[in-house]
Amino acid sequence: MKTTEGTTYRMLQTNLTRINSQLEELRVQGATGIKLNKASDDPSSIRPVLTTRTQLMHTDRYLETMGVTLDKMQATDGHMGHIENILQRVKEITVNSINGAMSEEDMVTFADEVNQMKQELLDSANAKVDGKYIFSGYAENTKPFERNSAYDPALYDETDSTTWAYLYMGTPNPTELEITPGEKLESNITGNDLFLGVSNTYWTDSTTPATGPPPSNLPPEQHRVDIFSLLERTEEALRTRMVDLEDANAFDAVGNTAAADALRNKLEGKVDTLELAANQGRRLRSQLGNRASRVDVAMFHQMDVKIDLQQVLSRYQDADAIETFNAIMQQETALQAALSITSKVSQISILDYF
Amino acid sequence: MAGLSSALNAGKTALGVNQKSIEIIGNNISNVNTEGYSRQSADLTPYPSLNFGDFFIGQGVVVSNVSRDHDVFVTNMLQEKSIEFGLQEGQTRALAELERIFNISEENLSTEVNRFFDSWQELSANPSGLVERDIVIQRGELLAEKFNLTINDLNRVKDNINDSLVSKIDGVNSQITEIAELNERIFTIEVQGQTANGARDRRDMLAQSLSKSLGAQTYYDSKGMMAVQLPGGLPLVQGNMTMEIEGVKNGSDLDLVLHTGGVVRPIELNNLGGEFAGLVHIRDQFIPSIKDDLDKLAYEISGAVNDVHYTGAGLDGTTNQNFFSVHPAPGPPPPAPPDPWVDAARNMSVLITDSNHVAAAEVSANVAPGDNRNALLISNIGEDFLIDGNDNFGSYYGKLTARIGIESNQNQLALGGAEDAMIQLQNLRDGLSGVSLDEEMINLIQFQRGFESSAKFLSTIDEMMGSLINLRR
Repeated sequence: MKTTEGTTYRMLQTNLTRINSQLEELRVQGATGIKLNKASDDPSSIRPVLTTRTQLMHTDRYLETMGVTLDKMQATDGHMGHIENILQRVKEITVNSINGAMSEEDMVTFADEVNQMKQELLDSANAKVDGKYIFSGYAENTKPFERNSAYDPALYDETDSTTWAYLYMGTPNPTELEITPGEKLESNITGNDLFLGVSNTYWTDSTTPATGPPPSNLPPEQHRVDIFSLLERTEEALRTRMVDLEDANAFDAVGNTAAADALRNKLEGKVDTLELAANQGRRLRSQLGNRASRVDVAMFHQMDVKIDLQQVLSRYQDADAIETFNAIMQQETALQAALSITSKVSQISILDYF
Repeated sequence: MAGLSSALNAGKTALGVNQKSIEIIGNNISNVNTEGYSRQSADLTPYPSLNFGDFFIGQGVVVSNVSRDHDVFVTNMLQEKSIEFGLQEGQTRALAELERIFNISEENLSTEVNRFFDSWQELSANPSGLVERDIVIQRGELLAEKFNLTINDLNRVKDNINDSLVSKIDGVNSQITEIAELNERIFTIEVQGQTANGARDRRDMLAQSLSKSLGAQTYYDSKGMMAVQLPGGLPLVQGNMTMEIEGVKNGSDLDLVLHTGGVVRPIELNNLGGEFAGLVHIRDQFIPSIKDDLDKLAYEISGAVNDVHYTGAGLDGTTNQNFFSVHPAPGPPPPAPPDPWVDAARNMSVLITDSNHVAAAEVSANVAPGDNRNALLISNIGEDFLIDGNDNFGSYYGKLTARIGIESNQNQLALGGAEDAMIQLQNLRDGLSGVSLDEEMINLIQFQRGFESSAKFLSTIDEMMGSLINLRR
C-alpha cells in the first residue's frame, strides 16, 4: 500500500469540507439561536413544537378575549352600581312618604322624583358598551327596554309579562366566551334576569307572556321582582296618594283615615319589595363580580401557562448559546489545524531534493 | 569480434528499454491527476540466452509488456458502493426542497390552520363585527391558498426531478455508447497480443459512473467484453451493441423506456438503481404519499368546518352554507375508491364571499347579531377534531413533516456513510493503482542510472573495439 498525491489531497479536502459544513451548521444555530431549523434536524421534536405553538396562539387569544370580557364586565358593574343607588333612593322616598306628615305637594314631588329614577333606571338598562347594548342578550343592536304601549294600570297583572310597564326586546341569552380550553363563561347579564326578575329559561320574547316555576308556571319567581313595574306602581301609588288602583272602590275620600292607612300599608309593602329588588340587583352583581374575578385568576393562570409553554418550546427548538459557541470554537480550532496541515503538505516535496 | 558485436547489441537494447521505461514514468507523472488512471509499468524480460559452448550468455533486455496496476476486487467494490452513493445523492436535493416546502418555521401550513381557527375564536368575541367576519373569510382563503401552493410546490419538485432525469439521460446514453466502442477497441487491440491499458481504465471508470447514475451491473463475456445491465436484468451493453434509454413525455409525467433492438420496454423503479432510482423513488412514491396526506388534511379540515358551518346561521339568517368547496356537508357519502380526498388540497377554496353569510350563530327564527354559539363550536374544531381519532390538524401536519424530516435525516446519514465508504475505497484504489510522485521520481532515478550505465557500457565496448582495430598499424 502506498500513499499517493491523490489520497493525500482527497483526505485533506474531505476533512476540510466536513469541518466547514459542520461549522456552517453551528454558525446558523449561533446566529438564529434556534437548533431546529429544518425538519431533518430533529424529526421527533416537530410535533411537540407545532402543538406548543398552537397552544401559545390559543393562550394569546384567550388573554385577549379575557381582557375584552373584563372591560365589558367592569362597565356592566358600573351600571349595576348605579341601579343599586336608584333603588336605594326610591326606597328612601317611599319610607319618607309613609310618614303621614307629608303634604300632598310633597307627595307629588316624591312621585316626580320616582319618575326621574325610573328614567335613570331605563337609561342604565339601555346602556351601551362599544356601541352595543349590554343588557339585551344576543340582540346587541336592539334597544332592550321600551315602554309598553299596551300598559294600563288597571289591567296590570304581575303574572302576565305582556301587561308590565316596560317590555324587554332582547333575547334571554347571556354571551358565552371561551376563556380557557373548554371553559365557557357568561360575560354579561340579560335584561330579563336583572330588570324583570324572569330567569333566562322562562323568557321567550316581548310578545309571549313569560312563564315561571312550577306549580303555577307563572311569574313572579320567588324573591324576584319586575323592577320597572315596581317603580311604575310606586310612582302611581304616590301620585294617586290614596287610591289603590286595584281596589279603587274601597277608598274614595281624600283624608279618609282608612284610605291613608291603606296607602301606608301599600307603600310599606313596596318598601319590602324595593328591598327585594335591590337584592336582586346585588345578587346578580355579585355573580358578575365572581365571574370577573374568575376571569382575573384565569388571566394570571394563562400568563403562567404562556411562560411554561414558551419554556417547553424553547427546550425543543432553541440552541444553547454557550454550548453552540463552545462547539463553534472547537470546530474553528479543528479547521485551523486542517488548514495548517494542508499548507504543510504542499511544502514538502521530493522535488526539492533533486 | 562476434562477442563484442553482440555486447554492443545488448547495450543497445538496454538503452532502448531504459528510455522506454522513463517514457512510461513520464506518462505516469503526466497522468498523476487523471481520474481512473492506473499506474503503468514496463515488464522487463531478458532476451533469450544463446549457448556458447558451455555458457549461456544473455543477449540484452526487452520490454515484454506494459502492464497496469489493477485490482478487480477494489474496482468491483467501488462500483457497488457507487450504486448506494448515487441512490442517496439522487434523493438529497429533492428532499432538501421538500423540507423547505414543509418547513417548521413560524410560517407554515399549521400556522395558517391555527390562524384560521383563531379567527373564529376572535369572531366569537364579537360575532356581529363585519371586520371579524371578513377576517374569517380571508383566513380561510389564505389557508386554502396555502394548500394550493403547497401542492403546486410538490408538483414543481416533480417537474424538477423530471428535468434532471432528462438532462442525465443524454450523458448516460453517451456513456453506454462509449463502453460499447471501448469493448470493440480493447478487443481489436488485445487480439493482437497488446494490452489496451488506457482503454480499460476508461471503461472501468465509465462502468463506475453508470453504476452511480443507473445502478448498472457489469460482467465480462467470453471475449473479455464488458456487458452492462440494469439491476432488473435489462441489458444496456452487450458486446459492441448498445441499448438506448429514452424519456417519454406523457403530459406532465416522464416515463423511462429502453430501446432494445426494436423492442421498447418500460423501465420501472425495480429496474433502476443509483441516482435514477433515488429520483424516481422520490417522484413516484414519496411525493405521492405526502400529497395524499396533504389532501386528506385539506379534506378533513374542510369537512369538519363545513359540517358545523352548514348547521349554523349567518348574520342575515342564511343557513345551510358550506364554508369550503371540498368535502361539502351534507353530501351523499363519497364513492369509496379512489380515496375521496384525492386532489382536495389542490381544489380547496372558500365558497363564502358575503361576510353576512359567515355562520357564527345557531339557527333560530330571528338570528341575533350577538349570537356566537356556532363560532365557538367552529373555533373548537381546531383543537377537538381528530383525524382518524388520533391527531388534530396541527399534529397531523407535524406527523407529515416529521416523515419528511426522518427521510431526509436518514438520507443525510446514508449519504455521509456512502461518501465515507467511497473515499476509503478510492484511497484503497489509489494505494494500489494510483500514481505516487515519490515512487515515480525514485524510479526515474533508477532508470536514468540504468540508461547512464548502459551508455557507459556501450562506450566501454566502443573503446575495446577501437583497441582491437588499432592492434595492426
